[in-house]
Amino acid sequence: MLEGLVSPENLSLSYADMSVPERLKWLQQHQQQEVLSLSSNDSPDLLQILQFHGSNNDELLQSTFSHFQMVGSGFGTNYNMGFGHSHEAMDGCISRTSSCQIHPPDTMGVMLKNSEENRAISLKNKRKSEVKTREEEKTEKKIKVEAETESNISNKEASSDTSKETSKGASQIQKLDYIHVRARRGEATDRHSLAERARREKISKKMKYLQDLVPGCNTVTGKAGVLDEIINYVQSLQRQVEFLSMKLAVINPELELGVEDLSVKQFQAAYFTNFPVVIASKPSVMVDVPLFLLDQQGSPNLSVSNPNQTSIDAPSESWETQSQSLFASVLR
Amino acid sequence: MERQIINKKKRVFSVEPNKIPPSEVFTRKYTSLLVPALKKLNMNKNSSQVNQLTVKHEVDMALALSAQEFAWSRFLLQKLSSSNNPTTTTSSSSNGIRIQERSGKEGGHEDGEREEKLRELQKLLPGGEEMNVEEMLGEIGNYIKCLELQTIALKSIVQDTT
Repeated sequence: MLEGLVSPENLSLSYADMSVPERLKWLQQHQQQEVLSLSSNDSPDLLQILQFHGSNNDELLQSTFSHFQMVGSGFGTNYNMGFGHSHEAMDGCISRTSSCQIHPPDTMGVMLKNSEENRAISLKNKRKSEVKTREEEKTEKKIKVEAETESNISNKEASSDTSKETSKGASQIQKLDYIHVRARRGEATDRHSLAERARREKISKKMKYLQDLVPGCNTVTGKAGVLDEIINYVQSLQRQVEFLSMKLAVINPELELGVEDLSVKQFQAAYFTNFPVVIASKPSVMVDVPLFLLDQQGSPNLSVSNPNQTSIDAPSESWETQSQSLFASVLR
Repeated sequence: MERQIINKKKRVFSVEPNKIPPSEVFTRKYTSLLVPALKKLNMNKNSSQVNQLTVKHEVDMALALSAQEFAWSRFLLQKLSSSNNPTTTTSSSSNGIRIQERSGKEGGHEDGEREEKLRELQKLLPGGEEMNVEEMLGEIGNYIKCLELQTIALKSIVQDTT
């Protein structure tokens, strides 16, 4: 099937040696030959290879799959569709897209020209079986993983083939066993920057989580401000603990024996008092209590009313009220 | 009396029998650790004044022991066991001053500012300086939570006795 493509002229020159215009001329010379050979030989394999080259979209893939039987009739339309989609993806293809659509036979030549040099060489050199399997692998992997259009997945494929492809444009089809990183359009997609980007995204996710955690962070924009707030908050918490322990040291001699049980009871009461909801949902919201209490406290001024003072009897009243109003009903 | 309390505890916590939220676990552990320790301190040093540092030590120890699933608690324990003087919170005030100075210096250089702040944060967290940034940010989250719970516990204990 591929014998038709190998001409005596080609034998003297290797594909890589030819310059671009020479290649184009050569291809144009053999177009008729190619078309004839392809249409006559009914070579689904070559067609498959050519169509799958640079195909980044499911649409293209599916169209080619559905059409690959129709070698003769659907030939031109396939290529038109193919190039309609792969404009953006292929290097140097943009300038030739207009011609591609007008002349279906040209498209194949252009495709051949724009294909990876390795692949073209291997085609020419009759290592078609290797190429086929590689292409099929790629496409199989693509099918397996349901590649979304354009901006999905690119990672850590070290081969020179794919590195050439990935040097420009949005997403590429590569080995898909690693972390999924969005390589946006125009961004570098080499290994290091991808890892960098993944790391940065992780960090920003954590920053967002911290922003939710620390009260008052929502108003501040920018990482520096959020970090500032977090630092201040941690410091204030630590100062509070210090102050409380100092106070504890002062009053330590007066510690009663039943303190442990009492304090646990007070926790329960404190948890219940702050949320006028049914008990059933309590455990899930308890984590929010500290923020609420600390907000109300402001400074570590313990002489001010303290919501922890209520006993268990209070909760029934407190479910409708905020904790501050409990101080009137404190039972000691 | 004790049975009543235990029953009350059970009633409250049995709403979701399988899941005990971590905050409750923490506070229970914390108080159960701290209060006996304080009592012991009390009993041992009846005549002399209870040293603030030792109380601090107990407080920090209780914090570290109640939160053993986190990385920072390990570092805290190490610090505590190596030296009798807890160093976690005493430097907090000086840190505040340092931040002001540094942010003034850095001025417009954003990345430098951010790195400075991250480093400050690392200093606040026990063991933060040995972690990398990602890890530290994650640990800071639960450190903050534990600090908050600790303040509640301490407050209630103090309130109890006054």
